[in-house]
Amino acid sequence: MSFETVLAQARAEGRTLLNEVEAKSLLKEAGVSVANTTLAKNRDEAQAQAEAAGYPVVLKVVSPDIAHKSDVGGVKLNLSDKDAVGVAFDEILASSKKAVPGANILGVAVQHMAPQGTEVIVGMTTDPQFGPVMMFGLGGIMVEVLKDVSFRLVPLADKDADQMINEIKGRPVLAGVRGQPPADIAALKQTILKVSAFVEKHPEVRELDLNPVFAYPDGALAVDARIVISES
Amino acid sequence: MAVPGHRLDRMFNPEVVAVVGDKGPMYMWLQNNMPFKEKGGRLYSVQLDEKEIPGIEALGIQNFRSMADIPEPIDYAVVAVPRQVSPYVLKDLIANGANGAGFFTSGFAETGEELGIKLQDQLTTMAREANFNLVGPNCMGLYLPKSGVRFNADAPVTDAGKIGFLSQSGTHGIMFSLVSAANGLYVSRCASFGNAVVLDVSDYLEYLMLDDETEIIGMYVEGVKNGRRFFEVLREACKRKPVIVWKGGQTEAGARATMSHTGSLAAPQAVWDGMMRQCGAITTNNLDETIDTMKLLLNSKRPKGNGMALMAQTGGQSVSITDAFAKSGLRVPRFSDKTYAELGEFFNIVGGSYQNPLDMAGTIQGSMDTLDRILRILDADPNIDAMAMELSAMFAARQWKKVPDSLDKTIDTLAAHQKRSQKPFLVILHPAHEAEYVASIAPKFHAKGIPLFQSFERAAAAMQRVLAYENR
Repeated sequence: MSFETVLAQARAEGRTLLNEVEAKSLLKEAGVSVANTTLAKNRDEAQAQAEAAGYPVVLKVVSPDIAHKSDVGGVKLNLSDKDAVGVAFDEILASSKKAVPGANILGVAVQHMAPQGTEVIVGMTTDPQFGPVMMFGLGGIMVEVLKDVSFRLVPLADKDADQMINEIKGRPVLAGVRGQPPADIAALKQTILKVSAFVEKHPEVRELDLNPVFAYPDGALAVDARIVISES
Repeated sequence: MAVPGHRLDRMFNPEVVAVVGDKGPMYMWLQNNMPFKEKGGRLYSVQLDEKEIPGIEALGIQNFRSMADIPEPIDYAVVAVPRQVSPYVLKDLIANGANGAGFFTSGFAETGEELGIKLQDQLTTMAREANFNLVGPNCMGLYLPKSGVRFNADAPVTDAGKIGFLSQSGTHGIMFSLVSAANGLYVSRCASFGNAVVLDVSDYLEYLMLDDETEIIGMYVEGVKNGRRFFEVLREACKRKPVIVWKGGQTEAGARATMSHTGSLAAPQAVWDGMMRQCGAITTNNLDETIDTMKLLLNSKRPKGNGMALMAQTGGQSVSITDAFAKSGLRVPRFSDKTYAELGEFFNIVGGSYQNPLDMAGTIQGSMDTLDRILRILDADPNIDAMAMELSAMFAARQWKKVPDSLDKTIDTLAAHQKRSQKPFLVILHPAHEAEYVASIAPKFHAKGIPLFQSFERAAAAMQRVLAYENR
């Protein structure tokens, strides 16, 4: 899936929000470390893809009409075998259809459930004054309550990504607290820089969230991704 | 010509200045610009009101009833006419071949009313089509101390200016020009640009960045028109010279829908702050912080690290000076063993201390040799990156008044140290109960280029900003 193809299809359908599978495939192509995620259109595909991804897996509803997947019972975590995947697939479809009658459901996204890492958020938005802006912060409560995030304007230099990571108040968390190993800062930096390069190359991208990105002692992995494109 | 070929160069280096529509009894704009005439510039008046003309001519200034009669192109004009007349004046200026004009005239879009908005749009369109450098409107225009072009009668006329200053507000532009001078710092070129309809802060910033006479740049901004261009010019400017940005007001969040978490977190101030760090600009919150920072940038060596030697006159102040610098994120390290050994040879520890911070009045006892000896020892200490010294008006003012030579010798000793040392050095002299006297002696420090501060906190904050700038 090239960027142009995805863009054309979304625009033809009048969508500005790319679905998770589209978003992840574009980011993967751009060199960002994202959790491999495939679209299963039916129960059999879901089970086959789960086998290929390796258990445990996560299933999430894919629909242009459903923005908040958890709210409609559209997310099932930690599924450990084929049967569980089959049941989860049926339940997701049933509850999503019930919550949003008439929703266009494309299927279910299947991904290996990544081991928990330190949660960070990497994002981009289009500032009305300054244009594309990158954001970095710790995930979870740090971003929700404390808004402990840093910003830089695209395009980013190497130094900018370093500073974004280093200037958040929660920076010591990444160095490892209470005996945890330090997060792979170089991998986080690469994630920021690659996303910056991606949005610079594609000015049609208006907003982007990698939330969360799991930071590990070696590497980082975006487990969820959202891309919003401009209307025209 | 300071920046040959730049579109603003003629108006920033004027030989011909016209004041349009000045009025008695004060003739404020002609009076402001008399130094320009005294320095050999051609200063003209344009005024068709017969009542005003005798007063203008009495000042020795040639008045023209029509701008068309001025025999040469104007480099810079000050326009102080009623707003309804301003489009006609602009038309005449364009016909004259003028390079630029500061429109003191107000009552435009800032009023929010229909006529004001319409007139502003008219000026904007005319100026853009003619590529005319319209400064403002609703502003104080240019202050060019070297040329003698001024926006205030108290602003100094001087060749010593090294600071380029830009201000969206007229008051802050004037206030900066006066207060910086009172601190021994002078402006090279200043623009108050008000509504910024044609030229925005980025245009002036670009000029100051290229201007060799401008060593550092300061600005007061509330908002910018073209954010992307501002970012690009500021980033380039910061590579060439220090830029201090004093941001006033709260940036309003643009009305926009966001579908992302990132968008909902991107508060305008947070994005602005990120951009400032990305550019390497120094940010300040008010006039005093702006001037304090400039004082260190212009007069002191640049710090290589954050280890401070703090020199107080007494015990209580040695604690306070340490609190102030530590709270600003600076270190007050232990001296080297060599320093302790050397200070220990002569330091009076009864009522004194030669730990860092020093409590030293009882040791110095008015001896310049002892002061000099201490300065030399600390200067040589590898643990020390910068030095800050308290002078006490409370204890010393009586003696300095009685024997003025004792003050001069102190200043000479400090100036000699500052010249010799490669480390930043600054002096804190709190006005205490002698505000008037301290104000009267401050110029002696300024004349020697010794950075003088009124409080520990202000000195510490300035040092912290300069250090952050060096580590950007």
